[in-house]
Amino acid sequence: MIVDLPVRQVAPGNFVHYGSFEERSPQNLGDNANIGFIVGSKCVMAVDTGGSFAVGRALRQAIRRVTPLPVCYVILTHVHPDHFFGAAAFVADHPQFIAHKNYPAQLAARSRSYRNSLQRDLGEAAAGSEIIPPTVLVAERLQIDLGGRTVIVRAWPPAHTDDDLTVFDELSRTMWFSDLLFVRHTPVVDGTITGFVAVMKELRALEFDHYVPGHGPDDLPWPQPLDAQLRYLTVILDETRAAIRNRKTIQQATDEVGLSEAGHWVAFELFHRRNVTAAYAELEWE
Amino acid sequence: MTMFLRAGSMVVAALLATLCFANEKSEPNPALSPYWDPIKQLAFGDRVINPDERDVIRVYLNVRADDASTVPVVVKAQIEQTDREFIKAIYVIVERNPSPMAGVFHFTPESGRAQVETRLRFEDYSFVRAVAEMNDGKLYMAQRWVKAAGGCSAPNGKKLSESLLGKMKLRFDDETITYHKPNLVQLMIRHPNESPLAANFDAAQIPQFVRSVKVTYDGKPVMQAEVDFSLSDNPNFRFFFTPEEKGLLNIEVEDTHDRKFSHSITISEGIPLPGG
Repeated sequence: MIVDLPVRQVAPGNFVHYGSFEERSPQNLGDNANIGFIVGSKCVMAVDTGGSFAVGRALRQAIRRVTPLPVCYVILTHVHPDHFFGAAAFVADHPQFIAHKNYPAQLAARSRSYRNSLQRDLGEAAAGSEIIPPTVLVAERLQIDLGGRTVIVRAWPPAHTDDDLTVFDELSRTMWFSDLLFVRHTPVVDGTITGFVAVMKELRALEFDHYVPGHGPDDLPWPQPLDAQLRYLTVILDETRAAIRNRKTIQQATDEVGLSEAGHWVAFELFHRRNVTAAYAELEWE
Repeated sequence: MTMFLRAGSMVVAALLATLCFANEKSEPNPALSPYWDPIKQLAFGDRVINPDERDVIRVYLNVRADDASTVPVVVKAQIEQTDREFIKAIYVIVERNPSPMAGVFHFTPESGRAQVETRLRFEDYSFVRAVAEMNDGKLYMAQRWVKAAGGCSAPNGKKLSESLLGKMKLRFDDETITYHKPNLVQLMIRHPNESPLAANFDAAQIPQFVRSVKVTYDGKPVMQAEVDFSLSDNPNFRFFFTPEEKGLLNIEVEDTHDRKFSHSITISEGIPLPGG
């Protein structure tokens, strides 16, 4: 039971809860991603719902401490369980659940294994967590009026996953990157590494005043966090290509690639080898 | 054998549905696993599986798998293939997958070494078991515990453009061939290797996955395998072959939609081998 989910107003009307870097556990209830909400004069939009029903419910209570306005929209920024398993806490509000056009197919392929692993990691603390299908799909761009506040939801080509959305509040010029941006926490590649690097170059051109990463704080001046992530992904890309060219196996690549980055990222041992594995399986077909 | 893979898979899936998930976080005792007995009965009946005191076979992989959709596994014979004694098949089993028999790989004394590497999907934390079947029918088993499927890791969910379906690529560890000794080669097959377990999968459809792979050199068998959707998308194999002279390395692949794909390459001293 989360009694009081801390949120910080990073810009007027934009409230962020910063998730923990720990692995999910019955103690942290899957509170591992940055989630939050945007408040207009008519409606509230939740941006992700956390890794369990308990976190989603606590987010809803945090919204209620700020405003009595209805939650009209819930953004499912991508198909990862640390971001979506709290969605059931909002079903009674009858919001539009908004996701990328590629989200349903990925969700279908993964839902069985995501339910099992949530049960394994959280046990009874997973109670109430459900997979909620989206009601609105975004192919390119969707403009939403929250009342005196226009929010732009943008669908990206395959990068972190193949169904990444960003959310931009025009009024406060706040950019919610979700997992297209990791700060201090090791970035994760579950879509395509070449696509992720290409999308990051586009992200560089965006203009905004405040940023919200999918994991980690917003304490670094822009564009430092973007450059750090781009450097990490480029190191993996270049060194994995070199390993393949030098006839190394996938195991050799995961042992050798990107070790110079080890000191720069939290949870490196949990995610780095996974990234190299995915990169190798992608790049060996080039 | 393909029939066994199919029929066996369904029965085991039904059995698993009646077991509650144990959800261990630490390695359980392989001898006490409730998952293994029904699989063993289906695959090997009452035949004795010897505890591998002879060290016939070993399984190599990382205990903490990095990506549940792509877990590289190496199964290595610890004995020589000779005419008198050789491993004729290696069974690779992911105990807690819905279709546990990931593949059966057949070898001959000419294989040089009974060794196979491939990439597996994991639905849950599981033992991977490798059973070696000797030419005299004796069975030996080794196993490793694997923690996969954590966090955002998922066994399925990648996609593939149809135009690439069945495309193959060979990569060699060495830049040129050496006759009369085992050479390592990697076979890559573009194929989604669909799992029928995705929630959106129409039960009336036959899932498309690669079911057989036959590798020959100048018409003689090198490696033959019956495989299943426990293999990762874009199935990948590494194995040895021992050429005695210039010849044709030929690959024949068949999937569950009865599509046949083939690929071949001429091997000769002095011709550079693909791989980089």
